[in-house]
Amino acid sequence: MKKERYLLLILLILIWQGLCSFNLIPRYKLSSPVEIVLGLVELIKIGVPPGHLLHHHVLYSLYRVALGYGVAALLAIPLGLLMGWFPRLRRMISPIIEVVRPIPPLAWIPIAIVWFGIGIKSAAFIIFLGAFFPILLNTVAGVLSINPILIEAARTLQAKEKDIFYKVLLPGSVPNIFVGMRIGLGVGWMTLVAAEFTGVREGFGLGYMIMTARDIQRPDEILAGMLVIGLIGLLINAGLKVIESRALRWR
Amino acid sequence: MTLELLGLSKTFYGANESEAVHALDHIEYRIESGRFVGIIGPSGCGKTTLLRIIAGLEKASEGKVLLDGKEMLQGSETVGMVFQEYALFPWRTTLQNIEMGLEIRGVDKEKRRLTAMEYIKQFGLSGFENRYPRELSGGMKQRVAIARTLIMNPRVVLMDEPFGSLDSQTRNGMQEFLLKIWQERGDTIIFVTHNVDEAVFLSDEIVVLSRRPGRIIKRVEVNIPRPRDRTSEECNRIRRDILRVLEVEMKKEERER
Amino acid sequence: MKKIGLLVLVSLLFFVPFAYGQPIRIAYLQADIHQLPCWVALEKGFFEKEGIQVKVAGIFKAGPELMSGFSAGDLDMGYVGIAPSTTAVANKTARVVALAQVNTEGSAIVVRKEDRIQAISDLIGKTVAVPGHSTVQDFLLRKALHQFKTPQEQVKIMVLKPPEMIGALRTHQIDGFIAWEPFPAKAVTMGVGRVLTSSGQIWKGHPCCALVCDERFFEAKKDQAKALVRAHVKAIDFILLNREEAIQIAIKYTGMDEASVRLAMENVNYTPVLSVEGEKEYVDFLNKLKYIKVDDVDGFVNRFMRTEILKEIIKK
Repeated sequence: MKKERYLLLILLILIWQGLCSFNLIPRYKLSSPVEIVLGLVELIKIGVPPGHLLHHHVLYSLYRVALGYGVAALLAIPLGLLMGWFPRLRRMISPIIEVVRPIPPLAWIPIAIVWFGIGIKSAAFIIFLGAFFPILLNTVAGVLSINPILIEAARTLQAKEKDIFYKVLLPGSVPNIFVGMRIGLGVGWMTLVAAEFTGVREGFGLGYMIMTARDIQRPDEILAGMLVIGLIGLLINAGLKVIESRALRWR
Repeated sequence: MTLELLGLSKTFYGANESEAVHALDHIEYRIESGRFVGIIGPSGCGKTTLLRIIAGLEKASEGKVLLDGKEMLQGSETVGMVFQEYALFPWRTTLQNIEMGLEIRGVDKEKRRLTAMEYIKQFGLSGFENRYPRELSGGMKQRVAIARTLIMNPRVVLMDEPFGSLDSQTRNGMQEFLLKIWQERGDTIIFVTHNVDEAVFLSDEIVVLSRRPGRIIKRVEVNIPRPRDRTSEECNRIRRDILRVLEVEMKKEERER
Repeated sequence: MKKIGLLVLVSLLFFVPFAYGQPIRIAYLQADIHQLPCWVALEKGFFEKEGIQVKVAGIFKAGPELMSGFSAGDLDMGYVGIAPSTTAVANKTARVVALAQVNTEGSAIVVRKEDRIQAISDLIGKTVAVPGHSTVQDFLLRKALHQFKTPQEQVKIMVLKPPEMIGALRTHQIDGFIAWEPFPAKAVTMGVGRVLTSSGQIWKGHPCCALVCDERFFEAKKDQAKALVRAHVKAIDFILLNREEAIQIAIKYTGMDEASVRLAMENVNYTPVLSVEGEKEYVDFLNKLKYIKVDDVDGFVNRFMRTEILKEIIKK
């Protein structure tokens, strides 16, 4: 069973390599898998720009995402719970959300730089914008999805508003909160490259690395960098899924 | 302990005046401590609404509910409720569900654990204390729900068709189980059901409600000593009695359509 | 006889437009005052006067993007920085040759007007922005630091796009920048900065922008390439002799104000002569910092810079 999953992937990679080896695809258009792997090795040992090694880029990027995403979760989850619970609040805030949400994080870059300056704060802000809305909206959905009978059962057990909030709303919304968190993390990680357009002061970051690879005309390292971004995104998501399944044992 | 329902009426209003639904019409009733009262009536007659008013989940349009002569404010007295759909908190284990009320009350961890474990033993749930509701059968889930309610020692226990979702074998078993527990504890129980059999098997007194708007149209004392034989002549007589009344109500309904 | 003559005439009519009907696809960089010869040639019709049709196939924001145009086969000739074209050729993502220089010098290190930075060594502990890694400006900055014995590790070098540099300088995000004209001039006319040193003072006659040509196009259509270079040389002569008109053209194409344009042009040296020695030094720099890997520097430079076209034209 498991072998089938990877069969197609391996086949595609082999065909790809074949096309490149026989020069059917020119090098500058698409690097071959072998070139990408070699580029990856170079990213690890020499780095792009030279001297800036891959693992430093990864750490800086993770740090930026952690900051932007952390703030997003800390704000979105409580706000989502409150918005789910108080219809009045929901009605008041919804229009603002609906207007701001469709604006792509990229469009915020000039403002971000003016507000936060060049550096980690503006990058984290862009990532924050990407992650905030999925977390918020899914949290609200989580509250609204709670079977009202559970709230009534709690009331018959003498629950006050505070009890209902902490003992019913919060745990009952957790599945949806996790969905929102995973989506938010995915968007936040993807926004990373755009976020690092705001100017990277320290000279480290995966998006910055890819842009530099483009400046110095190394398409193989651009692709290797993209591969790294994809793999890390995959790992983070898998990690979150593990935590989720632990927390949602009751499902 | 006496529970009095005085002139309880309830009307639900839709978007405009013409969509008003009269659910209950001047319910007058008195329940003494330790009694097992069954409420039966055609669909939509307001039985559930009545329970919800007593539980404080709904406000009456007219009338009062008095407990020992004092008006019952919404949610201030302990009135326990068992729902047909169990309403167990899916993210809590059996143990955690049962001790939920004690937790809300602020009882300390050790004490509530011990108390809950007693109920688990008494209700035949041993070995399942750390399981989640999705791992339990229907009958077990309802036992957890009942334990969760009874552990609070409520003045009045309300049950809204609690065995409605169970198959008939499990249902009969649960009825016997409930009787056993009730006879040990002596709670005051108001039990709503669709099932005349069930009402006759369990109740001290059966109250029959009319179709909407619900009024009490018959009260039947069931003096048969327990354990009762469902197929006995006395049970059958009472059952026929009630079924006849219900039939009349249903015919009225059909004529109006 | 008449029939053959007619046939020849008709076939010529077919082939002439075919040979000269496809315009040469050229590209240049936006708002970079080094590109002025291209704009002059376009405005004054120098290309048509040399008998060729050109089409502006792209106006790019940055050199690497322009080089991608060559990679994709969308361009025949381009006005572009020596930095992106050298790295592209060295990393084999594009095959171009440099046929003429466009300018030398024409960049400057700028600091805030009110700051007390008087010498390069005052940059220790400060943040200076460069337009990109491996650019000529990056090289110039490091060369300046080296010349003035200022250790590179003690200066924080970060990458910013030139349009963002002035704003960043003003809001104290950076303490200085090095960029190509007209950005240093604009910083001055806006009252935000002053020039600490011009690039010519760091490295006299350093190469900056060049006129490059797709290698295959060069092999197949040498005559057209030559014609374009001739137009280019004419344009540079024009700039030197008709400064006022050249300034007006520069204002039109950069969209910048007259004061900035005038000031910027004072810092740029327009010349068609290829700076081969300068290119060798630059390739050494890229090699040492591992941006490229070229074993035979001389061979590489000789293959990249084709001085023969220019020599022919200047002889005449």
